[in-house]
Formats: sequence, C-alpha cells, structure tokens
Amino acid sequence: MFYAGIRKEDWHRSLEKLLTTYDIFVPVKDEFSLDYEPFRPGQADRIAYNTPKPATPLKNFFLPVRENVTSARAGSKPRIIIGVPNCDIEALMLLDEIYLDEVFADPWYRSRRDSTILVASDCYTVDDHCHCLSYGVKPWSMAHADMAILAEGDQIFLRVMSETGKEIAEQLTDIYSVDDAAAVSFAEQRHSETEELLTALNAGLPDYTTTGEIIQKAGDQIWEKYAAKCVSCGACTTICPTCSCFLLIDKPDFEKVKQMDACQYPGFERVAGGEDALFELHRRFRNRYMCKYVWRPQQFNSLACTGCGRCIEACIGKINKNELFMELT
Amino acid sequence: MDSHTNNIYKPLRATLEDVIEESPLIKTFVLTPDEEFVFKTGQFIELSVDGVGEAPFTPSSSPLVTDRLEVTVMKTGYVTGIMHELKPGAVMGIRGPYGRGYPVSEFEGKEVLILGGGCGLAPIRSLLYTLEHMKDDLEKVILCYGSKTPADCIYKPLFSRLNSIDKFEAHRTVDITDDDWDGPVGVATILLDNVKVRIDNSVAVVCGPPIMMKFGTIRLLEMGYRDVQIYLSMEKNMSCGLGKCGHCMMGEFFVCKDGPVFTYNEIKHNPEIWK
Repeated sequence: MFYAGIRKEDWHRSLEKLLTTYDIFVPVKDEFSLDYEPFRPGQADRIAYNTPKPATPLKNFFLPVRENVTSARAGSKPRIIIGVPNCDIEALMLLDEIYLDEVFADPWYRSRRDSTILVASDCYTVDDHCHCLSYGVKPWSMAHADMAILAEGDQIFLRVMSETGKEIAEQLTDIYSVDDAAAVSFAEQRHSETEELLTALNAGLPDYTTTGEIIQKAGDQIWEKYAAKCVSCGACTTICPTCSCFLLIDKPDFEKVKQMDACQYPGFERVAGGEDALFELHRRFRNRYMCKYVWRPQQFNSLACTGCGRCIEACIGKINKNELFMELT
Repeated sequence: MDSHTNNIYKPLRATLEDVIEESPLIKTFVLTPDEEFVFKTGQFIELSVDGVGEAPFTPSSSPLVTDRLEVTVMKTGYVTGIMHELKPGAVMGIRGPYGRGYPVSEFEGKEVLILGGGCGLAPIRSLLYTLEHMKDDLEKVILCYGSKTPADCIYKPLFSRLNSIDKFEAHRTVDITDDDWDGPVGVATILLDNVKVRIDNSVAVVCGPPIMMKFGTIRLLEMGYRDVQIYLSMEKNMSCGLGKCGHCMMGEFFVCKDGPVFTYNEIKHNPEIWK
C-alpha cells in the first residue's frame, strides 16, 4: 500500500482517457440525493468526493435486479467504480463469500467482480443514520478496494491498495509521488474527524458482538410492535448492501431468469404443500434481523450489516432499526 | 458457459421415458439424462418443466444407476400439477445433485430403523437400494411406513420384496382403512411399538410430512434414541440449490447446502424446524 498525489484536473483528464478502455461510474450529488452516474467527459465538476454513501448500494453493480443466467451474452467493458464508501466495500465481502463459494461460484458475479475496479472513498462527513463504526467498520477503506480517494482542494491523494490499483495509477496523467508519512498524517486527521462525528452519532448503539444475542433474546412482543408499521414493501432489503436473496424464474428452452427477491415478501418460504414458516408479517420482519445478526454471522466471516443505515432511510413506515436495538439494550 | 457443468444455473436435459402411477396423487417419472448423472442417496435435484418452473425432489432410484433416474412426485402445487400431465417423450431439466445426503458409511455395523410417511418413501426407496447393496455391512434394516389409505401407499411391491431380503423387514400401516385392508391402522409411529431393535447400536431415519417428522422424532426419543442417532430429511422451499437464493433458510442453515439430511442434534435448537 502506498500513497500518490495528482492534481484534480489531471485526475479528471485521466478519467476521460480511461473511458476508451473502461466504463466509469462516479458519485454525483443533486438536489435529491447522491448516486452513481456514468462518467461523461466535461462533467467532472459534478463528482462528489468523500461524501457518505450513494443511494444505490454497491451490490447492484454485481447483482442486477433481473438477469438471464443461462444464455451467453456479449462481454461488456471493464468498469471502474469511483467513490465507494467502506460500508459497501465490506458488504461486498459477504456477497463474495456467498456468490464465489468454492463449490458453486456464480459465473456472472465472478465475471463482473473480475472486471470491476473499486476506487473507495474515505468519508469526511456522516449522514444521519450512518453507524458503521458501531459495528467495527471504519468509514475509510484500507484493504478490500483497489484504491481509495482523498480529495483536498485542487489536489487528490490516492491510497493504492492492490496490484490492479497500481496498474491504474500508472495510467494516470502527471501522477506524482508523495511522502507517505505526510499523506498518512493527512488521512489520519480526516479519519479522526469523521470518527469523532460517528462516535457522537452512534452513542449507545450495541456493537456487532452483542447484536446477535440481543436479537435472539427479543420476544414476539418487540417484533409485533415494530412490524405493526411494516407493509412488507421490501425497501429495506432492496437497499441493503448485503441482502442478496433471489428467485429463479423459468423461461422456454430451459432458460432461467434470476430476479432479486426478499424474505419480507409474503410466500418467500412457502412450500407447495402449504407450510410457510414466515406466513405472519412479524415473523418475516424478525427473519431479516435474525439473518443479519444471528444466522449469517454463524455461517460466514464477513459482516451481514455494515451499518450504512440505508434501511432506516428507505422505510416508508419510518421503522428505525437502531431505535429497536436501543429499546432492547 | 454453454454446458450445464460450468454454469450453475443451467439444467441438464433428460428425456421422460415412462410415467408410473403410484397412487391417485403420486407418479414416478423415469428419466434418461443426456449425460451420466451421479448422485448420493438423499441428495436432491431441481427438476424442471420447460418454461414452467422447477421444484426440488430427492431421486427415488438407486444411486448405483447413473444412466437412468427415477423421481417420485406428489401433485401438490402448480409445477407438480403440470408435471403430472407430462407424457413419455417429454424433455425435462435437471439441476444438481445438491446438498448432503444420508451418511451411509456411518450406518455400517448398525441396525437401521426407517420411519416413512406418504411421499416420504421416495427418498427412502433410494436409501433402501443403497442399504441393500451394502447389506453385508449392516446388522438389520427395518422399514415402518404409513400412508393415509391403502390406495395412497406407493411402491406396493417393494414391501414383499424387502421382506424376502435377508436382514430386511418392512411394515405398513394406514390412517384410514378400507374393506380389503387387514393390517395395522393408525399413524406410522404405532409400528414402532412392535419393532425389535438394539437402540444403542442403531440409527433412525425419518422422512415424511412435517407433522409425521415431528411426532416420529418425539417417539424415537421416547424409545431411547439419542439426538445424534436420528436423521431427518428436511423439507423447505429449496429453489436455487446452491446456498444462495435464501428461500430454504432454516435458522443458520441453507437446507439445500447444509442439508437436506440433518441429525436431530444439529437442528433441535431451532423451534421452527417443524413449521
């Protein structure tokens, strides 16, 4: 891992050059939200650097809402995704465990993963419901992305973390070497500021080592209470960077279409004989919490909730999972 | 990615050779896969009707036969309803085999007590073929099977055949009798009252509808079986078969990947297993 520097305008010129080889996605902020958009020449000033989470979770780049998984298709250009917050990078680690499983690797996920370069972004600020830190996830990426970006005025520091990141760095116009100690010190200053904001925001929230026990002990009363405002719309699962359940739909000629699905929808676990362990809404509601805090942690090494807080923002019933945890803690 | 072998979602094609009517609601589909199909007894497959849907079934044929596959299907829902209309010559799709089957090598030197109900005899038949093949290494195999009515009993000739094999015995009961039935009447577990089995050197296998699995397990525990000696074949909505889609989650387990065969010991901590 090392740091390099580049002037912002050189970085933008480099991105334009890279467009001949790559599809590039950048975070853009407008009056409604912050989200990824395809990078277009001449629009570099719209890129938002070092702001927390884009509306779309990173998973959508790897797990499309709907895709045919049986017929061969033309390959697309490799991609560079810029400005990925660490909550989403860490969430991708769980998806890797599930979709790149040793016995049954998903070929489509594999090819997208292999052809995607991740440029993370250190968060300089926090959103209302950010709580990565309470689960031990830092608001900056040190390992699981190819590069990370830290903007400062008209300069950009790049933290180069992988061989692929190094190859990209070599293609950048007028990149210059920086004194690592100075870059580290700059990064640490930013990190401690963000950490301070998060520490204040997350005060009292349980950490990931205790959330499982809390959820397991919770009685039906709590599930019934919070589920009373749930309409099974599935927004929480759609927006969650680790929720990745799907449905296989059969098409003629034995083709299969894979479509994102969610345990929040009625009938998710229903079998043909009629049994349905998740028939009642509050059972489905509980299932999501059990999955994220009890069951996935028993089977996988990566976190099943990285504290991005999107589910809280997306809920039309204004159900706040952190309030649920606070009530139980 | 054109072959089913390197795309996990792509089915292998199989021709329907014969359809055997086992009972008013149950048929056995005899299939010839386009390629050799190897599975372990108790593992399951996803069987699809082209363009309609697929559903999970444990083959009811012997795993020693790899060029022909038999799948016994109860008409229960949409996909199985259409499956029951299929005629020989139809082309079906197979994905799999998936999951963890019966650990038959652990049964060596033991008495195997099998409790089955309804269509649960399908996976059990495959297991029985396997046990028959390894009978020199087994002490005894006892099958206790219950069906709703005498007409609902599947594989009827199987019982007399089993009773003619050394070390094997098979018993039947029905919930509701008819004029011709002169055997025991009651749920499958009543047959356990009269079996002679050395429990300390035995394993029990249970496969059937959820209610039978539950009360069968309770009865076996009362008889003195320990949690680790009871093997249950769990029924969930296995969809992808690959440990990914989430439909078959049973607590921390993906039934499709971690099961479908579990010891009671592995899953007893979850009160929702019988749902």
